[in-house]
Amino acid sequence: MSEVVSVTGDQFRGAATHEGSTRFLLYLEGTADYAALDALETLLDRTHAEALRLGVKEVVVDLRTVEFMNSSCFKCVLSWITSINELEVEARYRIALLSSAKHHWQKRSLQSLRCFAVELITVTES
Amino acid sequence: METAYFELNFRPNVQLVSVVRRFVTEFYQRFLNDPDGTSRVALATHELLENAVKYSRDGETTIRIELMQHETPRRVRIQLRNRSTLEHIAAIREIVDGVNRAPDATEFYRALIVAKAKDRTGSGLGLARICAEGEMKIHYDVQGDMVVIEATTVMGLV
Repeated sequence: MSEVVSVTGDQFRGAATHEGSTRFLLYLEGTADYAALDALETLLDRTHAEALRLGVKEVVVDLRTVEFMNSSCFKCVLSWITSINELEVEARYRIALLSSAKHHWQKRSLQSLRCFAVELITVTES
Repeated sequence: METAYFELNFRPNVQLVSVVRRFVTEFYQRFLNDPDGTSRVALATHELLENAVKYSRDGETTIRIELMQHETPRRVRIQLRNRSTLEHIAAIREIVDGVNRAPDATEFYRALIVAKAKDRTGSGLGLARICAEGEMKIHYDVQGDMVVIEATTVMGLV
């Protein structure tokens, strides 16, 4: 498991690690609010670039310790998914979202994300 | 039972928005046996205050959150007052009028997500998110550059 990129903010932290040959684990933690927007944007841009360079097939996004995500950060995730959707079909990678029932906002927000790109995204709640 | 409320008159900044959201969450967790409803109110509070941070004309914002305990089912009303730019007032009108005209707030929000996905500037999703994911009704009133936004929702029964 090797680190691809990490960001640290006041109340937000994120890191992508390479797991096996075709999978990234993207771990997010804390509060994804306006103060975290630049860090999240950097994290997703660099994760996307590395995923394409290394031919990754799946990115697992662990959101279980994200207390809250505002609409600006949500939009940032949407832009990332749009970037994947705009690729040729064979170059696209899948996104597996891990959510927590403890954080109630996740159920509705992640369902909205899944509806946006149902063929790319799965959501697993624990 | 009387309406329980609190009102904050302040100059919000980015850090204070999350502080207020956490305060609202803890406040309603103590009063209500409705974690999902509390989460929805917290989401709406955060989105409304962040709009105020970004678009307030003079930085001053008043937020009032009421729990109408005498009603069945009980309702929570969030009211936000501030002076805003004409451009932002037009954006509020467009989104709120659009979502209130739509037969289904969730469908409106999902269509907005598709429309905004390629736009790299701003979000433009906050108010519609309050209606769809927060399951709240939104109304606004504009007098000059003074904007009052009210978001109302039903809370679970104890």
